[in-house]
Amino acid sequence: MRLRRTMLYLPGNNPNMLLRGHLFAPDGLILDLEDAVAVREKDAARVLVRDVLKRGEFGSCEVTVRINGLDTEYWRKDLEMLVPLGRLDGVRAPKVDDAATVRLLDEALSEIEEKAGIEVGRIKIFCLLETAKGIFNTYDIATASPRVAAVIPGGEDLTADLRTNRSPEGTELEGIRRSVIVAARAAGVDALDTVFPRITDDEGLRRETEFIKQLGFDGKSVIHPNQIPIIHDVFTPTEKEIERAQKIVAAAKEAAERGLGAVQVDGRMVDAPVVKRALFTLTRAGLLEEGTEHA
Amino acid sequence: MKTAQAGTVESMDCLVTVSEAEPGTGLVLNLAGSSVARFSKAMEKAVRETLEGLGIRDLAVSVQDNGALDLVLKARLEAAVARLKEGGESA
Repeated sequence: MRLRRTMLYLPGNNPNMLLRGHLFAPDGLILDLEDAVAVREKDAARVLVRDVLKRGEFGSCEVTVRINGLDTEYWRKDLEMLVPLGRLDGVRAPKVDDAATVRLLDEALSEIEEKAGIEVGRIKIFCLLETAKGIFNTYDIATASPRVAAVIPGGEDLTADLRTNRSPEGTELEGIRRSVIVAARAAGVDALDTVFPRITDDEGLRRETEFIKQLGFDGKSVIHPNQIPIIHDVFTPTEKEIERAQKIVAAAKEAAERGLGAVQVDGRMVDAPVVKRALFTLTRAGLLEEGTEHA
Repeated sequence: MKTAQAGTVESMDCLVTVSEAEPGTGLVLNLAGSSVARFSKAMEKAVRETLEGLGIRDLAVSVQDNGALDLVLKARLEAAVARLKEGGESA
């Protein structure tokens, strides 16, 4: 599995941010050609992002591009210019309303990958759900293509579509976050939370991150580098959690070697789901290689 | 004469202005900005390489630099040339 605790948006027409974004060590980068770029700058941003991708210094970050909406004239050109470079890990698509949108994107990606000699299916799709319809169709969207890596509820656009606005408590997004998590898990994709817009409110960010972590989210989109360490801190297991996870994994390994199904650790039954959670804890702590198969 | 621009004067960026030039003029380059004194040769090389790649011989290029790396200068120049080809603006 890949850690996606933080994915940092970088404005696509800003060389300073595009070139330095990885230095803040988020788990992923989103080179943004959509909302962060004015309509008259779409062409220049595309060239800049292409050349930054060619240079390819992104540390260990997962590299994605937020393309323009599939209801615009820009998205195909975004893909045609950037996908053939073979450097992108994924594409973040805005305003995904239904499975048909995902399939359209999937087909376009396959066509470009094939032409460019890139393994077909390599580029993942990250779906932004920014309308009530998108939220309603989350499971269908998440299962519309094997490329779908994550679903991400929107913030501002979504609350506007719901005829409300974002409150500090996030009351308006509570039910949505719960439903997205269920659909994402059912579909076997990641659930990533929307951005926290108040960039100087560290306490608020920590509270919201703790809440979405408890719901089961895998991470959060980030609009300012200062938000990264706070979110990583919340998602990083404590010493005690790590110690317990290591005990469980060791006990499970021993049990497997002895041909036993379940074992006890500190007086508690340890079976497959507990081992799975322990491995997950160690991955989040950076003690297991990403990509290690879970039991 | 047609002219077009791309880029900004923000940090690590540059503003590139290109104008049509008569055939046979070659490259007319004007560099400005704090790092020009140290990097003018590298900047000129980046401009020449980009124009060569685009198959352009005659062009007036003006760069207002604010610490742009080569790759940024090249991207801005390419975008400016593309805008010029699409019509540019009459100066």
